[in-house]
Amino acid sequence: MEESNWEPKVIGFLCHWCSYAGADLSGSARLEYPHNIRIIRIPCSGRVDPMFILRALQNGVDGVLVSGCHPGDCHYQSGNFHARRKFAVINRLLKYVGIEPERVQFSWVAASEGPKMAQVIKEFVEGVRKVGPNRLFKDEKKDGE
Amino acid sequence: MENRLKEEAGKLLKEGKVDYIVGYGKGTVNLRTSPLITNKEEDLEGLVINPFIANNLSRYPVELKGRVGIVVKGCDSRSLTSLMQDKKVKREDLIIFGIPCEGVVDLKKLAGQIGAEIDRVTDAEKEGENLTLQVDGSKKTIPFRDVIFDKCYGCEHPTPLEYDVLLGSEVTPNLDIEKSLEKIKALDDMDTPERWDYWKEQFSKCIRCYGCRNVCPACFCERCFVDVNMPQWVATYATWQDNLTFQLIRTLHVAGRCSDCGECERACPVGIPLRSLQRKMVEEVKDLFGHEVGIDKDAPPVFSHYEATDPDEFMK
Repeated sequence: MEESNWEPKVIGFLCHWCSYAGADLSGSARLEYPHNIRIIRIPCSGRVDPMFILRALQNGVDGVLVSGCHPGDCHYQSGNFHARRKFAVINRLLKYVGIEPERVQFSWVAASEGPKMAQVIKEFVEGVRKVGPNRLFKDEKKDGE
Repeated sequence: MENRLKEEAGKLLKEGKVDYIVGYGKGTVNLRTSPLITNKEEDLEGLVINPFIANNLSRYPVELKGRVGIVVKGCDSRSLTSLMQDKKVKREDLIIFGIPCEGVVDLKKLAGQIGAEIDRVTDAEKEGENLTLQVDGSKKTIPFRDVIFDKCYGCEHPTPLEYDVLLGSEVTPNLDIEKSLEKIKALDDMDTPERWDYWKEQFSKCIRCYGCRNVCPACFCERCFVDVNMPQWVATYATWQDNLTFQLIRTLHVAGRCSDCGECERACPVGIPLRSLQRKMVEEVKDLFGHEVGIDKDAPPVFSHYEATDPDEFMK
């Protein structure tokens, strides 16, 4: 695709009980959010393995959004608390190795927060658009051939 | 010190209090030491303690079935405690010989200092603050603290925290945190794309020998994610993309378990500064959760519990 009409492609890992339902609600409320996001439903934000995020980036998506229930609201009692610890470390490590912080985002969105979900996606996609296409894992030599 | 170790270890084997002794023996190349694992009393003559005992032996009791008498330095003892937290070894199965450690010689640094290959050094002895060497038949003296591993400058617990027998007297930490974190600071000062390019270049060298994983005491998964083929997370051959992904995930897996023993970097045959990744995470875990590795053997592993007040200012 040419640079000028590049559109970010981002993946959203949304937890089944809150954020996915939140996205659903924003849909039924006819709220608009960017079509750049491809949503993958997961049982809990605790299900997110750091490998999901890295593999997604390696495979060329421009951003990864992970979203789950607010702390204390987890359907499985503590899944998101465990996830939060994991995310904190992932976040620091990715920044440290030089992945733009705009590319990976973690959010809490409840099932009732349809407008917030739309807002989160909108802001995230805008952030990704600013940092541009993901060339992190590209091999310049091979691509030039 | 050495004699006391031999004596005590011999007694343990004779009385049947342990099944194995895990310690350091002379290596095949001058100065180097290698792990000595034995259940025979006569082998104990080979045990050594000197400023070259680099290996972290705490990995072995996990694989050895039975009771083990093990020799540890400060950093190794914290690895061992971390393994106790993860319930990989039981405290009651271990007799721990603690070595108060003033630092371990980095043979790469030493070779640089004397400007010669290590095998030309026939004898080395630590005398006070200096290391006296015999190089090609002539005597050479260099300051000891110039040739120890970077990790040793930042060592806050040179005396093992957990031991049954302490060989020698306690050592007070001689800290030079700045020197220990020099490389990390340099990386922190780079801007984001520069850092990525740095790691990209480093991991282009990786031949995926898995030495870092195999030597790491915190890498104890029964089946490593890189060996899993459904799904195949990373390719079995070496590309810098997968090499980097592998190492990043490994770094996350050992975060909160890594005691900064530096074995990954020492084992790396192509010289990737792996400690710059692992040590950074030691700092981050401490900063985020106030968790210091291997201090309290009864504390839960850092990622198996949580606090309601955990930091989440990064959540949006």
